[in-house]
Amino acid sequence: MSSRTITGAVAALTIALTASSGFAAEKKLTIGVADALTGGGAVYGLPQANAVKMAADEINAAGGIKVGSDNYKIDVIAYDDKANPTEATNAVRKLIDRDGVKYILGFCCSGSTSAVASFIGNEKAVMLVGNAAERSITTKKIPNLVRTRPPADYTGQAAGTFIARKGHKRIAVLGALDVGFYAQYVDAVEREVKKTGGEIIAREVFSLRDRDMTPQLTKIRGLNPDAILVVGYVEPAAFVYRQAVELGMNIPRYGFTSGSEEQFLRVTTSEQMEGVWDLRPTELTLLSATKNGIAYHANYTKKYNASPSPSSPYAYDQLYVLKAAIEAAGTVDDTVVVAKAIRGLPVPPQVVMQYQPVDGKMFDVNGQAYTSNGAFQWQKGKWVFVEDLPSDSKAYSQFLSTLN
Amino acid sequence: MLIEILQQTINGLAIGGVYVLIALGLTTVFGILGIAHFAHGSISMFGGYLTFFLVTSQGLPVLAAIPVALATGILLGLLVEMLAYRPVRHANHINAFIVALGLTMMVEGINLQLFGHEQVVIPTGLSRVFRFGGITVPELRLYVIIAAIVLVVAMMVFVERTKTGQAIRAVAENRDAAILMGVNVKSIPLIVFGISTALGVAAGIMVGALFAIAPGIGEGFVVKGFAVLILGGLGSFPGAILGGTVLGITESIAAGFISSAYKDVIAFVVMILVLLIRPQGLLGRTP
Amino acid sequence: MNRSLQSLAWLLVFAALAMLPQVLTVKYYLHLSILALIWVIMAQGQNLIQGYTGYVSIVGAGFMGIGAYSSTLIGMHFQWPIWATMAAAPLVTALFALATGYPSLRVKGHYFAIVTLAFNLIIVIVLVNYKELTNGETGISNIPKPWGGSRDAYFYLVLMLAAAMTALAALIARSRVGEILLAIRQNEDLVGSIGIAAWKYKLFAFVISAMYAGLAGALYAHFQSFINPEIFGVAQSLDAILAVILGGSGTIAGPVIGAFLVVFLPEMLRFADSFRLILYGLILVLATIFMPIGIVGVCKALIGRFSRKEAAS
Repeated sequence: MSSRTITGAVAALTIALTASSGFAAEKKLTIGVADALTGGGAVYGLPQANAVKMAADEINAAGGIKVGSDNYKIDVIAYDDKANPTEATNAVRKLIDRDGVKYILGFCCSGSTSAVASFIGNEKAVMLVGNAAERSITTKKIPNLVRTRPPADYTGQAAGTFIARKGHKRIAVLGALDVGFYAQYVDAVEREVKKTGGEIIAREVFSLRDRDMTPQLTKIRGLNPDAILVVGYVEPAAFVYRQAVELGMNIPRYGFTSGSEEQFLRVTTSEQMEGVWDLRPTELTLLSATKNGIAYHANYTKKYNASPSPSSPYAYDQLYVLKAAIEAAGTVDDTVVVAKAIRGLPVPPQVVMQYQPVDGKMFDVNGQAYTSNGAFQWQKGKWVFVEDLPSDSKAYSQFLSTLN
Repeated sequence: MLIEILQQTINGLAIGGVYVLIALGLTTVFGILGIAHFAHGSISMFGGYLTFFLVTSQGLPVLAAIPVALATGILLGLLVEMLAYRPVRHANHINAFIVALGLTMMVEGINLQLFGHEQVVIPTGLSRVFRFGGITVPELRLYVIIAAIVLVVAMMVFVERTKTGQAIRAVAENRDAAILMGVNVKSIPLIVFGISTALGVAAGIMVGALFAIAPGIGEGFVVKGFAVLILGGLGSFPGAILGGTVLGITESIAAGFISSAYKDVIAFVVMILVLLIRPQGLLGRTP
Repeated sequence: MNRSLQSLAWLLVFAALAMLPQVLTVKYYLHLSILALIWVIMAQGQNLIQGYTGYVSIVGAGFMGIGAYSSTLIGMHFQWPIWATMAAAPLVTALFALATGYPSLRVKGHYFAIVTLAFNLIIVIVLVNYKELTNGETGISNIPKPWGGSRDAYFYLVLMLAAAMTALAALIARSRVGEILLAIRQNEDLVGSIGIAAWKYKLFAFVISAMYAGLAGALYAHFQSFINPEIFGVAQSLDAILAVILGGSGTIAGPVIGAFLVVFLPEMLRFADSFRLILYGLILVLATIFMPIGIVGVCKALIGRFSRKEAAS
């Protein structure tokens, strides 16, 4: 008899005993969050940690996680990983080894996430990744890792088709191309526009701390492109849009930044943003939001006295995924069974993002979830959802399976 | 091509002006006290943050907020000198440097605690753009360049023409001789820190208005400021002015014509080349 | 303290450390201890240039990165065994140190610090942008671990190397070279005036310290199994400086204590989040003003006072 069947038998016996006594035990399930709570990544990490805590409060108020006749109330420990690989490794080691945590959520940023992903496969734990968009995180087929955010090039492919359809032939790119997933997005766009005879004529780079983009833009202006594509973190990207107008560049502007109105208006005027496209996953925006999305926005704003970042529901959804999986698996202790249950789960009804299931399941064989992609345009002071970007999650999932 | 070179030169002037102001502050402190004031960038950004806070949360007009920020900055500079640097004045020069690093961490942490991790931009409402032929210059950028020039000229006049300025120069050139000439050496460090922090805060406000202030930005500027000092020559005012302008324009031209990914590398390579060929810097005195 | 008592103390420390894998039931602390021992090597190297020679170098983490990447990449492309790539890493780092040390050492004092800092920035920018070689910011995962990833075995490897490197540092410090380095710290012009080519000794200290960092980097890479450029940024170079200052510059025990502090202290302060930076900076400033001789210096002074009293009574 393997140890797993023993635990199974013991668990069944415990359930039978507690059920017969007719007494639902109140227990505690401690989950961990490793995310950037300070430093440059905190723009993404802090709202994610807040979102997990909010989901935990909601679940606890509704009675907790039910395993057999036990009710588990969720307790959240959040550690700062500063988006740094060494810090993230230390934080997760602390969660697993010292705090005895089995479920770790959060993970906004690619470097720190990749570092943890490199060893999580050997641990008795389940890792749920949020906003980190680097593709290779879900190409290694780690059985106890899943990710709620789709990889950047899944969105890039849809964006490329959209740009090509607009008839642009000579496209100049300006972006944080030193960051892997932004470069992957641009590569996917390039593949699509090439199909209609288009080309990328420039790949200019800005770094996270650059705020003066006029040198790069002046160069691009001299090349006379049909359109410009801006990929990168919202903070520098906002300056690209403003300075492009200041340099008198009057060409269509496309982007992949996922910034909120508030973040852009800090840097630009609404007139300078008018007409800009953002081609990205259909994350949280009030205009496209579902009932869950509107409730999430209201609750978060009330609880934390600040608007939630568009990507923060990736972490919120993780906890509902975990709850559904633990309840389906009927165990909190056996992480192998829970990890398996996550892979077999349909999209839980409480999630905020609009996931596109693959074969009826929220996560594909790689542990990757897919949301729909959308084209948003800045119109008179805000992002307006214009149309869905057709994206084939099943085809992409198969492509992802071929990588390693 | 010509238009592009001219436009890139104009582009580089604004950031070059910021470099000059930061470097002038650093060079004054270094020339007179021999301290590599590494926390200068973070303190400068504190001034920018403060201006932002006064404008957005307290409803002060920008022109009223600037003097308040400058005054607070000067006060902070004096405190830093008295509490942190004075105790290590006579110790090994490494100790002053370590204190400077610790101060940088502290000020960065305080900025983060007080003003958050989101970037801030000081609202000015200036969004006109001037066009000269094919060259475009935004209004705000022009004002920043002009303000930098005015401050630099004022600084030069102060050092060349006023009694205090001459005393500072005398101490910088020869401390013992200055004491013999009756210069009050005790008050000089305070004056120097006050002036250099005021220049830094001015630079911080310019960065905050034209670009943005965010965690880590100040450290970036102080490194560039030191690169300017090495480029121009240690402790030399004209060197800092020339070096800052050259670095700003070099970066802009390098990003436009060579590679935007390696823009910062090119700036540092220029600095290292100068060290190899002319270790005393472009305008430095031969040791 | 006399020589034999000192050796006895070192032996005791070594024995206590060697028992850690048996004593520590929470493996998280073993994980941190391995990192701390890697930082011991790093700090011993930093101490040679900073503590003994008096030149603050801010490129330590950059050299650590060169060591980490060279060990990883040589292993990936030439299929060398791990021990061979680990041995090659410090040599590759030494080449880079020779090339950067020459221009850096043309300036003194604070300016040396700034130039080395610029080199650290350059190393990170190149690691990020030379994607064909380094895989950029995404980093390299699945770097092979020796002995099937056994943490206990790796602990002993790192412990042996940390002890060996500490012993080597002590040898250098007590040699004629060490004396000249100390003299350079006291008065460089004087060293030059008695006909010693100070630059040779400075370059030697700089290159040796880089080799220490390179070895630490290789050990880090094969322990964590993941590296990216961010790990080797200026912030980590500052940690190395901090380790030397806190422990006690120009001593052999100082870097050992300092390394454990810079690894464990932030972990203890993990709850403090954004106050961590302020607290860390404050400790640094206060330690430099009130305890410039480091923890080892303070202990020596205390022991000295204590034994004098004893002798008097």
